[in-house]
Amino acid sequence: MTTTAASNATDLRHRAEVEADSLPPLLVQAEQLAGSVLLGEHGRRRAGMGDDFWQYRPAQPGDSRRLVDHRRSARGDQQFIREREWQIAQTVHIWVDQGGSMRFASNPDLPQKIDRARKLALAASILMVRAGERVGLTGTTLPPRSGNMQILRLAEALSHDDSTDYAPPEHHAMIPHARGLFISDFLGPFDELQLALTKAADRGLRGVLLQILDPSEEQFPFTGRTVFESVTGQLRHETLKASALRDRYLERLAERRDALDQLCRATGWRMGLHHTGDSAQTALLWLYHALENSTS
Amino acid sequence: MTTLAGIGFTTPWLLLGLLALPILWLLLRAVPPTPVRRVFPAVTLLLGLNDDDSLSDRTPWWLLLLRLLAVAAAIIGLSGPVLNPTQGNTGNGPLLLVLDASWAGADHWTQTSDQITAQLNEAGRAGRTVAVIRLTMPEPLQFLSADVWRKQVAGLLPQPWQPSPDQITATLDYIVASEVEFDTLWFSDGLDYSNRDQLTATLRDRGELKIYQTAINTLGLLPAKFADGAIELQVIRSTPGSAEQITVLAQGRDPGGTKRVLASATAEFSPDAETASAKLILPSELRARITRFELKGARSAGMVALTDDSLRRREVALISSQTDNEGLVLLSPLHYLRQALAPTSELYEGALGDLLPANPDVIILADVAQLASDEEQKLTDWVEQGGMLLRFAGPRLAASDISRSEEHPLMPVRLRSGGRSLGGAMSWGEPKTLAPFVEDSPFHGLAIPDEVTVSAQVMAQPDPNLAARVIAELGDGTPLVTRKTLGQGQIVLFHVTANAEWTTLPLSGLFVDMLERLAVSTAAKPPSLAEMEGTTWTPIGILDGFGRLSDAGTLSGVDGPKLMTELVGPDLRPGLYDSGSRKLARNVLRSDDVLRPSAWPAGVPVIGTVAAPERALGGILLSLALVFLALDVAASLLVSGLLHRSRSAAMILVLVLAGGLGLPAYQAQAQQDQGLLGLSSELALAHVLTGVDQVDGIAHDGLRGLSSTLRFRTSIEPSEPVGVNLERDELAYYPLLYWPITTDQPIPSVEAYAKLNAYLRAGGMVLFDTRDANLAGSGANSPNARKLQQLARPLDIPPLEPLPADHVLTRAFYLLQDFPGRHQRGELWVEAAPADAEQIEGMPFRNLNDGVTPVVIGGNDWGAAWAVDGNGRPLLPVGRGFAGERQRELAYRFGVNLVMHVLTGNYKSDQVHVPALLDRLGQ
Repeated sequence: MTTTAASNATDLRHRAEVEADSLPPLLVQAEQLAGSVLLGEHGRRRAGMGDDFWQYRPAQPGDSRRLVDHRRSARGDQQFIREREWQIAQTVHIWVDQGGSMRFASNPDLPQKIDRARKLALAASILMVRAGERVGLTGTTLPPRSGNMQILRLAEALSHDDSTDYAPPEHHAMIPHARGLFISDFLGPFDELQLALTKAADRGLRGVLLQILDPSEEQFPFTGRTVFESVTGQLRHETLKASALRDRYLERLAERRDALDQLCRATGWRMGLHHTGDSAQTALLWLYHALENSTS
Repeated sequence: MTTLAGIGFTTPWLLLGLLALPILWLLLRAVPPTPVRRVFPAVTLLLGLNDDDSLSDRTPWWLLLLRLLAVAAAIIGLSGPVLNPTQGNTGNGPLLLVLDASWAGADHWTQTSDQITAQLNEAGRAGRTVAVIRLTMPEPLQFLSADVWRKQVAGLLPQPWQPSPDQITATLDYIVASEVEFDTLWFSDGLDYSNRDQLTATLRDRGELKIYQTAINTLGLLPAKFADGAIELQVIRSTPGSAEQITVLAQGRDPGGTKRVLASATAEFSPDAETASAKLILPSELRARITRFELKGARSAGMVALTDDSLRRREVALISSQTDNEGLVLLSPLHYLRQALAPTSELYEGALGDLLPANPDVIILADVAQLASDEEQKLTDWVEQGGMLLRFAGPRLAASDISRSEEHPLMPVRLRSGGRSLGGAMSWGEPKTLAPFVEDSPFHGLAIPDEVTVSAQVMAQPDPNLAARVIAELGDGTPLVTRKTLGQGQIVLFHVTANAEWTTLPLSGLFVDMLERLAVSTAAKPPSLAEMEGTTWTPIGILDGFGRLSDAGTLSGVDGPKLMTELVGPDLRPGLYDSGSRKLARNVLRSDDVLRPSAWPAGVPVIGTVAAPERALGGILLSLALVFLALDVAASLLVSGLLHRSRSAAMILVLVLAGGLGLPAYQAQAQQDQGLLGLSSELALAHVLTGVDQVDGIAHDGLRGLSSTLRFRTSIEPSEPVGVNLERDELAYYPLLYWPITTDQPIPSVEAYAKLNAYLRAGGMVLFDTRDANLAGSGANSPNARKLQQLARPLDIPPLEPLPADHVLTRAFYLLQDFPGRHQRGELWVEAAPADAEQIEGMPFRNLNDGVTPVVIGGNDWGAAWAVDGNGRPLLPVGRGFAGERQRELAYRFGVNLVMHVLTGNYKSDQVHVPALLDRLGQ
């Protein structure tokens, strides 16, 4: 890893920390208790497996003798069992589209879409890691782990650009019943996304899709004779009168969004939309709630 | 030339090109603008979307319009448009140009002569012969080629008078004499004069007549009058209309002798008024200095009023022997003189010794016999320098022995003792009356009232020259007034008293007239015609048409009555006239003149010459086309979305536009001002440019080195040194001039030396450096030293001496005893200490050189020792090794001391004494 990448990563982490500072740790609701085999610091406000003390209760028939708390029981005649809080860590898989199409900002004053995506992803990661969740990327690059070091690793992993125009969602090595967070503009081939989400749903993953768009992609403010090019220049489309295309373009954009919505509904995911012209804080807040409450 | 809408075109057929514009419009419209390339990630959504419309996107209409305007401007520009084209004269026969050429046109003569030139050019193109006649100076008509006349236009100047009837008659004669038919262009000045109609008619008979007339309102200034203690100035105008404010300036010489505006007054024309007047109240001292009044900003003889004696009040000193007794006013010897002179003269009374330095014009001694001998001497000197001494007899004079046995220098005649009285109680005779004044008497022509009698007088001793000195006598032939000249002045004696004791003369009006004739008092009124009879006036200065006063040269004298009555013309030029005893100004306008605008008969076309001159518009239009094209470049960039990418290109475009609009010239000017401003706000050392590049370069580098040393070590922070050209540059900005001497440099001009001397006197200092280290040692015999002598000879340099050990230069900043440069031994010469400089007790130094020595002369080549390159490293080696560096250091210290000395004067010297002074104060 080069120094530049490292410093980029540090910078990205710094910015994400700033963004995450204003929210309490993100507790991703554990949907399926049984699926989570790994213990974590995720107190469930109920008795269960964990390290922290939860309550004493009178021993009942069937309780293992090993569970009797002798110090408490010695105070009286009744035997007490010391219960611990049920602590469990959720696993979150993150995928951020790092393809060329994300490296775009219509206006120098606006951030590139990829910047916003990374920042949001990392900020969410930080919140989750603080809450004791295990966060990682989809695929084999960075398996989910907990702890602050993971944030740094995430930041590093998120700092790599993809050379293709439209990167397909990575859907390998997803842990069943974990949570997913996919951030992209979802302008690339729809099939790939469908494939990835179906696969995730098959494995019991639930999660959030966050679509990040540039304001110009939403408004199409172009007129006159124009050649539109993708970021790497592989795709191009020429029109003599861009203004005439506007309505049809918007129609297509709406269609794409409908398709995404339907896909989400079918797979139990939630769909969010964010524009780079808006504040990142709003998007993070939305993510916070969406991840906390995403139940099927 | 074809004229369209007031604009002429030299090549009108080029305008057909404008017909191509619609075609161009269609062509440009058909070519779409280059596509904009945009990065757009959502292009995936666009793929497969076709344009509905097969029509291309069009170039925006405003861009098309811009391009068409550019092309149109170019086409029109190339077709040679001319604004205000000279209207072609249709005729092609001979052409007569009639010029009024009077003072009324002088104010705008430049326009008129431009117009004349334009007409001559036009006539030259048409091959017409031309004759020019000036009505104020008619000459026979000569029809010549226009080119011949064009060369003479500069010599056609307005005359300071209006065409007189005689001149019109002469013109008519000349016109009749030439038998050709011609067209006429009459350049009128807009004023009416007699017989103009006749001339108009004659000219119309001969051919087409056109009038070029200025629409300007003609103003005139009437002669100034003095009344009730104020100068009255009247301004008249030819066409009443709007209210107007005119400033009248009074010009004269200030006490320093330079001409300047002494006072100004404003005359306000109310609407419809033909005259406006202004009053000017000035002290007589100032009033006497005024030589002319003129309208502000005017250049015409009619707007100038010269002043003569009538404004000037003579200063008369009255001296009597007897102190005035209260209550006996009528017996005072000065009472009647005061009464007679006060309205017209400035009177001074007092002791002779006090009044003589005031240099009055006239001194009147009323019954004063003896004067102190030194006063007498001074009075004699004063008379000899042109003063007029007027004496009156009286009891004291009669009783004294003055001028008895021999003629006293301050008396015109010898006197017999005692005098005589007539018609008294104890006498047989009747009081005598005056005899009529003889012809060569200054009083000739004055009427003698019967009641004037003389009852007592002092008697003149008969002498051979008595008869010549008598200017008035009694009926029995005894002298009453005698006069003699002494030097340039004259002495007049009235053989009677100045009060009514001996005679009734002071009671009569004759007394006042006689004083006036003697030019004791000055008439407030212009002299009457009768007075002017028989006098001859010589012109001493004459006005030209523009109102400039020039020397009269050898113009002959003018008879008095003619001066008063006749109109000004070639024989009677307006100006200043002198008759010996008094001056008279004959102005263009007389006090009863009015200005009447000229009226032309119907049917004569009148064209205003104030119309703007011909002006070619081609250049403007072509540059407009360029501007449009440049805008088109910007606009095209804008349309294709490239403008933000090519900011630099846009900047270049802006610069090109600015360049086209003449911004650089302005910047250059601004830069130059900036330079001068910088010089005056910042200190800069300067060296004299010798013209030898190497020497100049070293001097510049040297001063740069010294400047940086000063900056590092002292609070003096000089800016970049300056090379000054003595011939061209202003020296006042520089406190110190370093002047390296080379044998090759030219000797500066006289003006440059004058500048240098002024610079030295104003506190500047020149450091002469012969750069040969032996000025003192070998008795100034090196080539450079000889050159220095040549160069410095015209300079105003005080005596010099080798720098004394206690000179302030040795301690202005550093304590120094020798002043090495690149050479070590040379001596330094500075202004010599005053001989009486003394060493104050207890002080190590004498109090020397109160002020800065204007020159320092040496030969140690300091410039070379100071010189540094651009990085601040020494440029030239000095000495050897460490000792050499020490020497360089000392050279810098000398430079620091020198600049300190220039800037602080002897302040440092005084500072040295401060401890001693404080010590003394303590005691």
